Amino acid sequence: MKRRLFIKKTAISLAILTGVMAAISYLRQFFPRLAGKKRRIALGDPRQFPVDTYTFMDEHNLFVYRDHEGIKAVTAVCTHLGCILEKSTDGFECPCHGSCYNNDGEVLSGPAPRDLTWFQVSKAADGKIVVDPGKSVQAGDKLLTT
Amino acid sequence: MEKESSGKSSMIPDHPEEGDRKERVGKITRNFFLHIHATRVHLYSMKPTYTFGLGIILGFLFLIMVFTGVILMIYYAPSVETAYQSVKDIVYIVPGGRIIRNMHRWASQGMVIVVFMHLLRVFYTGSYLGNRSLNWVIGVVMLILTLLSNFSGYLLPWDQLAYWAVTIGSNIAASARELTDLLGITSVIDPGGFLKKLLIGGETVGQPALSRFFTLHVIFLPLSMLVLMGVHFWRIRKDGGLSRPLRYAGDKGGTNKWYAWPVLMWTELAILILVVTGVLLIALLADAPLLEKANPSFPENPAKSPWYFLGIQELVSYSAFAGGLLVPLLYLGFLFSIPYKDREDKYVGEWFSGKKGLKLILRSAGFALVLVILQLFIMVRFGGLRDWIPGVSQWFVLLINPATFTALLFFIVAEVTRKKMKSNRMAALVLFTCSFVALVVFTVVGIWFRGPNWEFFWSASQWPIQ
Repeated sequence: MKRRLFIKKTAISLAILTGVMAAISYLRQFFPRLAGKKRRIALGDPRQFPVDTYTFMDEHNLFVYRDHEGIKAVTAVCTHLGCILEKSTDGFECPCHGSCYNNDGEVLSGPAPRDLTWFQVSKAADGKIVVDPGKSVQAGDKLLTT
Repeated sequence: MEKESSGKSSMIPDHPEEGDRKERVGKITRNFFLHIHATRVHLYSMKPTYTFGLGIILGFLFLIMVFTGVILMIYYAPSVETAYQSVKDIVYIVPGGRIIRNMHRWASQGMVIVVFMHLLRVFYTGSYLGNRSLNWVIGVVMLILTLLSNFSGYLLPWDQLAYWAVTIGSNIAASARELTDLLGITSVIDPGGFLKKLLIGGETVGQPALSRFFTLHVIFLPLSMLVLMGVHFWRIRKDGGLSRPLRYAGDKGGTNKWYAWPVLMWTELAILILVVTGVLLIALLADAPLLEKANPSFPENPAKSPWYFLGIQELVSYSAFAGGLLVPLLYLGFLFSIPYKDREDKYVGEWFSGKKGLKLILRSAGFALVLVILQLFIMVRFGGLRDWIPGVSQWFVLLINPATFTALLFFIVAEVTRKKMKSNRMAALVLFTCSFVALVVFTVVGIWFRGPNWEFFWSASQWPIQ
């Protein structure tokens, strides 16, 4: 290889390499590093929730259900496109595209692709209950309060 | 004029005296801005019923967007705490602010309407043929940019309309998860989550989303549009002026061409004045909506996107992935591919490719109309797949719904046409017409016939009181 050709090829390769590296590090900036873990939500005294009722927690987009045995929590965010569900007589209904779920959060009709997620509920040292949106549980699982 | 007989009788020769000619050419060549046109333009391009001036109207609407947008930008504060109040200030306190905001809103919606009319005009006159394929592609990109500009602007007021439209929009981007979930590979590769993160910078719509949309709306999109607009106009010149039928292709010299100065330039100035007057009048008569401040716990019911996205929203009400990503992407793919599949140059510059084409278009439109309405009737009257077979696999919900079914059927009909008539242009006419009619029908249903919980209502007066 002639010296001129060698220098030309090296220069082009270096320019491409620099360009690609610059592009990658530039484009990387558009993707924020999100906290992987979701924060636990303190809900306070379990007795403040009325019995046999789904209570909507509007700050956290959750439904909290309490009966005589215990307490459980389900997301209020529709699995279709993220609208907030409304409680219907025998389940949940989405106002945006009409997806329907039963009381266990299973999809009955509409475009929703997944069942609703139930979150783990636990009791903190001070007796207050805490919901962990990072941990999902079965629909029937509840924190026994009796 | 020897070609008079083959052309339209309205073509008048334009042969000025030498001195006059020099002056009229000089007007253009000495002025950077007037360089948008060649010194002489073919008469066929100037026929009002050929272009309807749609391209230049779009350019003028874009100008209105920029001018009004700059004023709005001075008073608008892009933060979750202040955005809503600052828009209220623009409407109620800034002198003339309401009119400026109205003009911005109505001109943007005007752009959406005119950009689709322009698409129809260019397609039905076969103006992507010849060497114009690249310019068609640039045009389709600008169509996408127009829609994105509208969508990104929609979030900025931070009212209920904005918040829920963008929540739905960002989750449509994330709906690729429906597919990856079914394949069980979301933990390995998650294009849906990737797209959503890029779009709104988080899991839910919040300050990062507002900052991103603001940047997109005021810098990235208008700048991209401006650059592409330059290329789009330049390509028209490079491709030999606006398209015209083959019988005029040879008109390189003086025949059938007119000097752009003064007639064309003054006509375009008149169009500018008309466009601004029109937008101003509408802005005086109708106010741009502003709902209550965004509330992340209570969606509007129904939570509707801007009207031009309601066709897609109707489709996502069957399946988010199929209706929101798959079918729209296939449609865009089809639009991009048109000039590369169809190379039948004999149809260039001819409205509807002649009588045969027009007949085909009308039949396709009728077919699509009946098919889409029939499907909607079945969906509304008898419900979707899940209502028929409770607990049916998500695969079926995703793959068998009006969105995918319509797309597949249109494709088959176009393919049959191609085989039967041995013409890609005719197949393109069928597919383009069918998909456009379907888009219109879905949009109309989304706008006027969908109410709370996205249920079907004959009119908004029948909506239940909440």
